[in-house]
Amino acid sequence: MTIYSYHDILDRARSGPYMSEEDWDLKKVALTTRKLVRKYDLRWSPEEIVTNDPELADAIFAAGLELAQAIGVYSRSTERIIEFDEAELLEGLRRMPQTLIMGEGKDARTLYARQIMDERRPLVWAGTPGTPIPEELFLPSVLSWMQEPIVDLVTCGSLSHVDGHEVRTADPLEVMATRRELQYMRAGLSRVGRPGMGMLAAQSAVSELGDLAVAHPDYLRPCDSHLIPMLNELKIDQRNTARVVNALEYGMVNASLVCVIVGGMGGDAPGSAVVNVASFILGNLVSRADYQLLHPIHMRHVATSTRPVLWVESIVQQAFARNAPCIMVTDVYPKSGALTRELLYETAANALVIAVTGGHLEGVGAADGNAPNSTGLEARFMGEVGHAATAQRLNLEETNALVLRLLAKYEHVFEDPAGNPGARFDRAYDLQTLKPVPEWQQMYEEVRAEVRAMGLSALA
Amino acid sequence: MANTEEHLQEIKNIIIDGDEDSAPIAVQEALDDGVGALQILTQGLVPGADEVGELFEVGTFFLPELMLTGRALQAAMAVLTPALEMEQAQSGTAVHDTGTIVIATIQTDIHDLGKNMVSSMLTASGFKVFDLGVDVPIKTIIAKAKEEKANIIGCSGLLTTSMPYIRDLIDTLVVMGERPHFKVMVGGAPVTPEWAAGIGADGTASSPVGAVNLARRLIQEQREEVAS
Repeated sequence: MTIYSYHDILDRARSGPYMSEEDWDLKKVALTTRKLVRKYDLRWSPEEIVTNDPELADAIFAAGLELAQAIGVYSRSTERIIEFDEAELLEGLRRMPQTLIMGEGKDARTLYARQIMDERRPLVWAGTPGTPIPEELFLPSVLSWMQEPIVDLVTCGSLSHVDGHEVRTADPLEVMATRRELQYMRAGLSRVGRPGMGMLAAQSAVSELGDLAVAHPDYLRPCDSHLIPMLNELKIDQRNTARVVNALEYGMVNASLVCVIVGGMGGDAPGSAVVNVASFILGNLVSRADYQLLHPIHMRHVATSTRPVLWVESIVQQAFARNAPCIMVTDVYPKSGALTRELLYETAANALVIAVTGGHLEGVGAADGNAPNSTGLEARFMGEVGHAATAQRLNLEETNALVLRLLAKYEHVFEDPAGNPGARFDRAYDLQTLKPVPEWQQMYEEVRAEVRAMGLSALA
Repeated sequence: MANTEEHLQEIKNIIIDGDEDSAPIAVQEALDDGVGALQILTQGLVPGADEVGELFEVGTFFLPELMLTGRALQAAMAVLTPALEMEQAQSGTAVHDTGTIVIATIQTDIHDLGKNMVSSMLTASGFKVFDLGVDVPIKTIIAKAKEEKANIIGCSGLLTTSMPYIRDLIDTLVVMGERPHFKVMVGGAPVTPEWAAGIGADGTASSPVGAVNLARRLIQEQREEVAS
């Protein structure tokens, strides 16, 4: 049947089959995914991060579609299953936007569905989604990437304090924090002379409270986007469907955020990719996705620069590019932080995978997004690497070889229990000039030259 | 009739396979054939759970295997516990008590992956675990801990904006005069040992196996404190 209105989703969340959450996790998600991985004989190799295996990409897509149809989405609020038939899922796929204008006026940019080895540049969406940022660092840090000419769109972290008061989820301060965040973002864009630039914001809205509070043209404009997160795995709740309803009536853009845990309920990388594909397909309907936000998380190391997560990003993008082209924006979330060489190697590896296999670039959420240790410099590098990959027309094998070389430069950071968080923004940037401190600038130039010598010759 | 060695091996394999349906049957069959309850626990269930923990740590097993083993162990313990208590009563030894833990993801936070891993590993390691789920109000956690006379309250949070509520939990225990009765372990991706110490928690761990070791240490400390 055709899903005409969001009432259909809300009704199914109230009247669908009952199931306990633990049974959902184990019997529905884990066991069905495991069966599909066996049925389609899905495997991965840590030495082949970027595969050139169209049949594998197609099988991952087919398995994900089968999973979506077999189990649907779980409503955590009602403990009911929201089920869909195949025709509904296919219609959702057909309706996925192929282009999407973000921002307004001369600063507007058009997101588009990218292809594998697309010769067009990926858009560069700079910022640190999810990272807690103290109020005194918020504006200078977002300015550090807003001012970068290579940046097309911007996002930000979450305010951890307002007026010296700690922000808590679903607390009245969340309303204040989210509005304050948008005030800083709009002020920042004006200051760099790009007032119309599109944003993914309301990042301080951990609950629906903050999200509702900024649905106003003075804060989050209809030409901006906000997050509709799919909960792990294949779940949603009333708080997040409230975000959808609000966005549908107000008109802002929905980013369907899927953060599959690689090594979680889907098991190893292939099962996690299958869960990710299913999440995107179902997000078209329950999250009313205008675009897909791809952010797999490594169960132990969090970072998107780990081998299995890089593989998942590559294969999910290839699966959609081949079978159901759509706008995918993919997060770069390295283990390392500012003032470390590893942050730049990790960023380069992630950017190569994303740019060559069909995504747009978003980041950089340095230091696992746990600390305000991101700067505009690595966002610039992310964009430069992504642009160089397309300019050089890297193929999948060449990209894989480069990524393996980069992995050898940074993988040791995963062995250190303390991680490699680097330095806070205000140690890596001069707060008066908003330029990198000489040490950070020099590190960037050296790594840039090194990556160019590794084979990314278009990194001029 | 299988011999003792075969029973114990079968039970161990069933726990490793996470076979919830077969676990109580295998334990009952072993008991019927005269295998000691304590022997089933220490030479069948625990080695099976330990192996699953090791396979998880090295990346051979993933979260579903861990959770299935937790379920299988719970099903096995439902049959074994009465036999264990009877055996220990007959022999005059103290009843085996590994410890009781109330665990939850703190209010406003709905992330349960880490909490589920720790919960499963604690269960698989023989603790009596009451997993209250996610977004659990502070007062509910404390009420359950008091009701079950828990040794430990385990609390997790992934969102930095939810973590302050973990501090509130400890502060509430203090103002209620309940803090000395419970050890508090905290966890979650952004939680560091420094932060845990700063809010007055008794410890944190960065992995499920680490959490089991921490729980064992805290219960040992608690018993020594009571004894002294």
